[in-house]
Amino acid sequence: MIGRLSNMLFGLIFLAFLTISGCSQTTPTKPGQTPSAQAQAPSKKEGAGPTAKQPSTGESSLEALQKGESLATPASSPLKEIYFDYDKSDLSSDARETLKANAAWLKGNPSARVEIEGHCDERGTNEYNLALGAKRAQAAKDYLVTLGIPAQRLSTISYGKELPVCREQTEDCWQKNRRDRFVVMTAKPAS
Amino acid sequence: MKIRAFIVAMLMALAFLRAAGTQVKGLIVGPGAERYPIAISPLRNLAPGDDSRKLSEGIADTIVRDLNLSGWFKVLDRSAYLENPQTSGVTLGSFDFKSWSVIGAEGLVKGSFTVQGEDLTVELRLFDVYQGKQVVGKRYTGTAKDYRRIAHRFADEIIFQFTGVQGVFNTRIAYVSTSGGRFKEIYVSHLDGSERIQVTNNRTINLSPSWSPDGRSILYTSYKEGNPSLFLFDLFSGKDVKFSSRTGLNLGAKWSPTGKQIAVTLERQGNTDIYLLDSSGNVVRRLTEYAGIDVSPTWSPDGRSIAFVSDRSGGPQIYIMDVDSGKTRRLTFAGGYNTSPDWSPKGDRIAYTSRVGGRFHIMTTAIQGGEPQDLTPDSGNHEDPSWSPDGRYIAFSSNRKGPYNIYIMQSTGENQQRLTASGGDDRNPSWSPRLE
Repeated sequence: MIGRLSNMLFGLIFLAFLTISGCSQTTPTKPGQTPSAQAQAPSKKEGAGPTAKQPSTGESSLEALQKGESLATPASSPLKEIYFDYDKSDLSSDARETLKANAAWLKGNPSARVEIEGHCDERGTNEYNLALGAKRAQAAKDYLVTLGIPAQRLSTISYGKELPVCREQTEDCWQKNRRDRFVVMTAKPAS
Repeated sequence: MKIRAFIVAMLMALAFLRAAGTQVKGLIVGPGAERYPIAISPLRNLAPGDDSRKLSEGIADTIVRDLNLSGWFKVLDRSAYLENPQTSGVTLGSFDFKSWSVIGAEGLVKGSFTVQGEDLTVELRLFDVYQGKQVVGKRYTGTAKDYRRIAHRFADEIIFQFTGVQGVFNTRIAYVSTSGGRFKEIYVSHLDGSERIQVTNNRTINLSPSWSPDGRSILYTSYKEGNPSLFLFDLFSGKDVKFSSRTGLNLGAKWSPTGKQIAVTLERQGNTDIYLLDSSGNVVRRLTEYAGIDVSPTWSPDGRSIAFVSDRSGGPQIYIMDVDSGKTRRLTFAGGYNTSPDWSPKGDRIAYTSRVGGRFHIMTTAIQGGEPQDLTPDSGNHEDPSWSPDGRYIAFSSNRKGPYNIYIMQSTGENQQRLTASGGDDRNPSWSPRLE
């Protein structure tokens, strides 16, 4: 019995090394594609206009985490964040106005595909917040679709409370974290 | 027998406390009573060589830590011991109980060990000092680097002698830690925080580790491929396979008690529901149909019901569903935010996180409903409860000392002790089944 346990422990330690060495080869580039990588493979089908107009919406929050960069949407981004009340996913009138502006930009840039990230503040349980973030991202997507943006151009992902942009324990900071971010992914190559 | 009488007194005190709803901090045995005073002697080295691995004290130290964690013992300080452990006898009749009664010990653990190459043989005995009797003696063989496991086994045996149920010291806790960095990785460590092993190292976000009933595997959610998918990690082979990678959340997987099915949260266009998967990750059945949040399933020990979180009544509350009929009832009514349920292995209670006045507490409530019991009225946040396999302890995360750390406490809230201090945030504890 003891022998089996020791095998397990050994296996675990061995494994920890394997994971470390294995990951250094594969992981860093996996989640999402970087905007630059995508820019090298533009779609021929879409976007007949000038492709130089690469908007700086920033990279996905997960990429930013991996690179140790800011999780904030750049001030220059044409796609603004929207904010939610605590434990809520319905769109305020401010959020709707912001989404209308975002929709207008999307209509003017028909090749742009956008990933909508749903985020929550740090309070509460991870899993519940992940579900809440999914609702928040979907709320924005649904509204953009009603404004005429094709659903195929919009994807969603929830990061729950896992990737806060602000880390102080104040209402001001929590408000900044209860947000949807909009990140341009550009078009995928036709497949 | 003295020890039996003591344990009966402890249990009676406990029953009284629960009935009275009293909150008592510190001692499991309640007001006026004391923990059972026990001495754990360093072991006698029977082999001719030196104890280069320091097993004499290493084995004793491990038992000391376990008994302290149990909350039922007062382990007497070693500096007060009168005997020389390397010359005094370890069997009944070969030493004088008076050297132990005089320092206040009512129980005594003595033992010996032999190392030959890598092979370790350990004998351990529990004595009742007042009665001058041996309560139990055990002989263990293993490898020298296995000495902690042997010590944990004997600590389990001591708990068994006192309570009639084996202890849980040969278990582990899986949890999520930032370890001071920005990534969330999954670790496994022993209850006392030692023997920490890193399970994931993919520099993203890894969440919600969950043990298979055989203790062999851990299911977890990871963003390592971008989408929050479920992965299955085999602790024996080290194999890590994708288990469910449907677009959107694949979250909070929990094996049924038989290990044949897995309850999981899947998302479809912002709507999360609970599904049953088979052991290959195929959908067997969708369990909830509500167009909102349904997350965090936990199985009843008989496998007939699940408890889960839903916002169908507004804020998050805990519901119980009969898996076969789908019949569902609301369990929690007190407070506007009740999440992360974990069903006790004894079946009678559910532990969960509850928001009270802007802070989070661990509560338990009877599955029939009724007044919840607040186990953590102290300052700070207390979240993510996970029961021990014997149902006598609850692991949880708390930021009462700044960063989040993993703690354990008695299921009554008493004897809260911190297990981890990684330098970062340690959260989402998941208590393993008994590991054989």
